[in-house]
Amino acid sequence: MNSSAFHLNLLKSSELLSSSPVRMRVMLPLFLLLGCAGMVVWWGVLFTQFMAVKARSDGISGDISAKDKSHAEIIERQAHARELSLQLEQLDYYRGGVRKVGEPLAALADVMPLKVQLTRLEIQPPPLQVLQPPGAKQPLPGPVENVETQKVVVVGKTTKETPVLALMESLEDEQFGRLVTRKREVKSFKQDDAPAKGGARLLAFEIEYTMPERRFAK
Amino acid sequence: MQYRSALGVPQRMARKVLWFPLVKIQLTKDKVIELNLPVGGGKGKSKSDIVGVELFSSCPQGCPAVRLLRRKEGWLVSAAGYVKAPHGELPERWEDTPKQPKWDLPRAFQSPSAALAVNTEMGIFAQASPEAIVQEMVHGPASASAGASVAAPSSAAGKRRFGIKHAEPSDQKPKQPAAAPTVPSKKTSVPEPGVPVSENGRRFSVRPFAEDGFRLYASMPEFQALWLSRLLPEGRRPTASSIQLAESALMASVLSQPAFKESGGDLVAVFVRDGAVFFAGYKKGAPVLWRRCPNVRGSAAMRESVMKTFGVGDDLVNDVLDDSLVDPHPALEPFVHPILEQLELSRAYLAGKHDLTSDKVLLMGVDHGIKHWRAYAEESLKVQFVAPDPFDGMALGKGVSPGRPYDFLVAIGAAVAAAEVES
Repeated sequence: MNSSAFHLNLLKSSELLSSSPVRMRVMLPLFLLLGCAGMVVWWGVLFTQFMAVKARSDGISGDISAKDKSHAEIIERQAHARELSLQLEQLDYYRGGVRKVGEPLAALADVMPLKVQLTRLEIQPPPLQVLQPPGAKQPLPGPVENVETQKVVVVGKTTKETPVLALMESLEDEQFGRLVTRKREVKSFKQDDAPAKGGARLLAFEIEYTMPERRFAK
Repeated sequence: MQYRSALGVPQRMARKVLWFPLVKIQLTKDKVIELNLPVGGGKGKSKSDIVGVELFSSCPQGCPAVRLLRRKEGWLVSAAGYVKAPHGELPERWEDTPKQPKWDLPRAFQSPSAALAVNTEMGIFAQASPEAIVQEMVHGPASASAGASVAAPSSAAGKRRFGIKHAEPSDQKPKQPAAAPTVPSKKTSVPEPGVPVSENGRRFSVRPFAEDGFRLYASMPEFQALWLSRLLPEGRRPTASSIQLAESALMASVLSQPAFKESGGDLVAVFVRDGAVFFAGYKKGAPVLWRRCPNVRGSAAMRESVMKTFGVGDDLVNDVLDDSLVDPHPALEPFVHPILEQLELSRAYLAGKHDLTSDKVLLMGVDHGIKHWRAYAEESLKVQFVAPDPFDGMALGKGVSPGRPYDFLVAIGAAVAAAEVES
C-alpha cells in the first residue's frame, strides 16, 4: 500500500522551497561560477606548466645540439687521456721492472779474490715469449707473463779452487741480492787450454747464476 | 496521458525518475528555454521526518499539527499539539494575495518539510470521470460554490498575472462564472497523476482510483495555492512540501490504522467532521470511493440538536452523549439515520461495482456517543462500527499526549500522504 495514491498535492515542484538557510537558488549558480572559475584557473595553471616544460625542453634540445660537437671533442680527448694514462701506467710497470745492478757490480771489485780473473760477465737476454700461440688467428698484443727470469754467466780463470769458492761465497752476500740469487749452477771447472804467462797452468770456470725475478708491476 | 511540454522522451524519463522541476525562461517573445533543476525533497524520495498541519480548522486552540518520524516498525509521533494560526486569513480574491504573512512553527515541529492541509470552501475534492474533470478545468467549477466565481472568473477581459486570468479590480463586483465559459487556448487533458496543473485560474491534482473508471481530484483557486506555498518562508524549517485539501488528507488518515492494514486495505470508512460527513472506500489500499453525505451537516449540527433537544449548554453535550442515564435518542437518531441510509447506498455501490463487502466500517471523527452510533448501525444495517484512536498504529514519543485525538485526524492524514511511503 502506497500512501502516494492519496497524495493530491497542489504544490508545484517549482514552488518547493529549501529549508536550508543557504538558498539553493543562490548557491547553485555561485557553485557553478566557482566551479567554472576553478576549472579556468586549473586549466590556466596546467597550460602555464605545459608551456614552461615545453620551453625548458626546447632549451635543453638546443643546448644538446649545440654541445654535440664539443661533446665529441671531449669524448676524443677522454679517449686520448685514457690512452696516455695507460701508457703512463705501462711506463710505471717498466719503472717497477728496472734492474738496478750498478751498485752490486761496483761492489764486485771489492770482493773479487786476487787469484781470480774474470774473463766474462754476461747478463743473458730473457727468453723470448710466444706471442703467436698455435691456433691463434692474431698475435697477442703483448707479453702474457709480467715476470721475467734472466741468467748471469760468470766466466773466469783461477789458479786453484779455493778463490772461486770464496767468490761464490761472497756473491751470496746480501749486497748482491739484486744481481744474483743463491740459485746457481757450475757449468764448467776445468784446466784452461790456453797457455798462461810463465808456463803456469790455470783453471777456467763458468758459473751460471739465476737473477732475481724481474716484475713488471707498480 | 499527454504531456503538455514538448520534452523529449529521455528528458521526460529523467523528470519522472529524478523529479527535476521544470523551469521555463522566456528569452524573447517566441523563445522559451526549459531547464530541469534539481531540488531537494523530490517526488521519488519518501520522507522520514515530516510535519502535518491542518490550517483554518474549527479548533479554537489553533492549528492541529503532528510531527511524524518514520521508524522501522512504523510511524513515531514526536510532537502533537496546536500551533498558533498564521496571521491573516486565507485570501478569497486575487487582490488579497499581496497580504502574504510569514509563518513560523514552534521548535518541536521544525522538521525539514511540512504538509499543509487546508480547509477552504473554495476547494473541491471529489471523484469524477476524466471527462468531467476536463470539463471543470475548461469551464471552471460552475456548479461549485459561489466563491468559485471569485476563484475563476471567466471574463475574457480579465487581466493576466502569472499567466493566469484573474478577477477584475475590487471595485467591480465578481460575476457569475457559468454565464460565459472560458475558451481554452490549447487542448486541455487530464493532468498526470500527482502533478499539479494550473488551468483557468485553478490548480488541479488528480489521482486514479484503484480500478478503472473515476479519478480522485482536488482543486483550489490558484491564488490560494500561491498564498499557501509562500506561507512557510524559505531558509527556515519547515518549508511546504505539500498542499492538500483537508478532505484529501482526511481520506489518507486511516492508512496507518491497524484495522486498515489487517483488512488488507479493503475497507469502508465514515468521516464525521464539524460541517460534513464523508464516506470513503478503499480496495487493496487504494481509493475506490469518496463522497460527501448529502443533506447532512456535520457533528456541529449533532451537538446543536442535543443542545436544543435537552436544553443544555455546549459544555454538557459530551456528558449527555456518553452518560448512560440520559437517552440521547431523540436528538441523535434524526442525525445518524440519514447517514446510515447513505452508508447503505455506498456499501451497495462498493459491493456491486468493486466487489468490496465488509461488515466492519471505520468510524472516524466521533469521540462521544460512539455506543449509540454502534447500536443504530447494528440495528439497521447489521454493520459493526469500529472507532479507533487516530494515533493507533503509531508510537507516541516522550511527552506526547494529544488531548482530543480526532482534532489531529487531518494533520496525520496530510503527513502520511505527503510522506509517500510504502507500507
